[in-house]
Amino acid sequence: MSSVAASALSDSSAVSKTPRPVLQLVDVRKVFDGFAAVDGISLDIEEGEFVTIVGPSGSGKTTLLRMLAGLESPSEGYITLRGELINDVPSNRRPTCLVFQSLALFPHMTVGDNIEFPLRVRKMAPEERRKRALELMAKVRLPEDYYSKNVMLCSGGEKQRVALARAFAYDPDVLFFDEPLSALDYKLKKLLEKELKDLHRESGKTFVYITHSLEEAMVMSDRIGVMRAGKVVQIGTPEQIYSTPADRFVAEFFGEVNVVPIRRADGGWLRRDGKPVAVAPDVSIDGDEASVVIRPEYMRFVTEEAGADNTLTGTIFNEYSLGSRLQYQVRSRTGRTFLIEVPRAAAWKGNGEVTIGWDAGNAIVVGG
Amino acid sequence: MQTVGRTRTHFLIRAWTAFVVLAIYLPIACGALAGLSKGRYFAFPIRIFSTEWWGKTWDSFEIHVLVQNSVLIALIVTVLSVLFAFFGALAFARYPWKGRRAFQRLLLLPIFFPQPVLGLALLLWFNALGISPTWKTAVVAHLVWIVPVVTLVIAIQVFSFDPVLEEAASDLGASRLFTLRTVTLPILWPGIWSGALFAFLLSWGNFPLSLYTAGADSTIPKWLYSKMVAGYTPMVPALGTMSTLTAAALLLGGGLVRFLLRRRAELRAREG
Repeated sequence: MSSVAASALSDSSAVSKTPRPVLQLVDVRKVFDGFAAVDGISLDIEEGEFVTIVGPSGSGKTTLLRMLAGLESPSEGYITLRGELINDVPSNRRPTCLVFQSLALFPHMTVGDNIEFPLRVRKMAPEERRKRALELMAKVRLPEDYYSKNVMLCSGGEKQRVALARAFAYDPDVLFFDEPLSALDYKLKKLLEKELKDLHRESGKTFVYITHSLEEAMVMSDRIGVMRAGKVVQIGTPEQIYSTPADRFVAEFFGEVNVVPIRRADGGWLRRDGKPVAVAPDVSIDGDEASVVIRPEYMRFVTEEAGADNTLTGTIFNEYSLGSRLQYQVRSRTGRTFLIEVPRAAAWKGNGEVTIGWDAGNAIVVGG
Repeated sequence: MQTVGRTRTHFLIRAWTAFVVLAIYLPIACGALAGLSKGRYFAFPIRIFSTEWWGKTWDSFEIHVLVQNSVLIALIVTVLSVLFAFFGALAFARYPWKGRRAFQRLLLLPIFFPQPVLGLALLLWFNALGISPTWKTAVVAHLVWIVPVVTLVIAIQVFSFDPVLEEAASDLGASRLFTLRTVTLPILWPGIWSGALFAFLLSWGNFPLSLYTAGADSTIPKWLYSKMVAGYTPMVPALGTMSTLTAAALLLGGGLVRFLLRRRAELRAREG
């Protein structure tokens, strides 16, 4: 029954593209006890792509990944790998490999045994396995003498590398990552992000990565999908997601932003306080309610010499140093808090009341 | 001041340790000595020492049969109970299912049931089913009581086992059987070993269940008891001492084997 559906799927010209996607999801749903953890996702992942799915916890991203890896099967919809339906193909028969959040290293084995595990499954000869394991260890920058080290005695970063080498030993077509870097400290995380990106480029394999961290997604991905409540709200390049978020959720998810609710009036837009708002001419919103999203770095102090399209007055009540930049929290007269970030050279000298503003071209208008 | 305190603490620790060792080993030593007495009756001080009773015990055909029975029962009980308990422990510690908690409680109940009553009840059952009690029925009786204990022991290990490891193994291409052999079992081995040890010792030393359900077949505890009640001979303490020494030898041997295995593994790792 399902194979009929699969052939119907691959015959349909509506979904076929060139190059043909490695992984294709069509209306995939996963329901647990009446709750749809994944609620109708359609997605094409191209050969050699680095796709990151971001979303807050509980958005269904891990469930999605588990379905792709074969650890869960979808309640509805189709998942195809190179055109073949894999909905019910168990994880050990899929040419895919998942790097778990906990890494799931085998605690009773050495580093070498861990890496060789998939090779042992394939009955590769011991000397050959060892050779391959050492190659992979070099690739992920693990010292050779770690081969016979107890894996539980490795540090967090080293364990990460062992998990990566083990996944590569399986030689999968697609690698999945379930927030493997989330437990590491900032510096190590940054380093491993870059190394992962390098590995992706060198190996030419398709990577699907899951995280709740915007930064991680931005650094590594070719494309980012944003998930919310079981759905993909937006998918695009990091640049697209950053500069043209589909809605307020995406905009807010991608870091600290200022949100000004606006409503339509007489062909223009008004703020809550009744003042008109200048928006970019290419803005097209369907409803009557919308939000202006302004990133803190696009807000600035307004003076007589340097005006702005939109302004508001308030008082500074907090100042943070971000190193080369300064961030201020300004409370407006209506009680809203705005964030404004300026280079250290442009630090605010005065006291008390300030006027801040933004230009229409630097703001994003999203529906709702 | 402080050194005085520390010295006193050290003294107390040593005194306590000595007391515990004495409390445990004095009775055993007394038993051992009683077996070495030439006299027919259990009495201290011992007038004349002799290995006569040891020799008699060692040569006795009756004792041979007893030891055989006890070892056979304990071995069969160990194998079967570990098998049942392993899967039982996996079932309630590893997989969520309806009635899992009830199963856990029901499983615990026989442990708290007084053994003589359990033995009697089982004997009545065997009679009702027309099975005449032998050492085989004793195996069944032992299992009823020992499987729950071993299940608990193994479950402790299973609870700390991360099921993600099995998923990871499968994701790396391993079949269920391969995963069981290379991941699940090796990680659960310590629990299985302690379960097996418990099973053997509980069966080996069990008296009330054997009394009721072994029928005409005797086991070491059964024989010891009957001789204590009527017809004491110094073979009783001699046999008791022998089994203690055997257990000690087994433990030492097991420790030695483990030590050697570990050293071999370390050497191999260093060479590799």
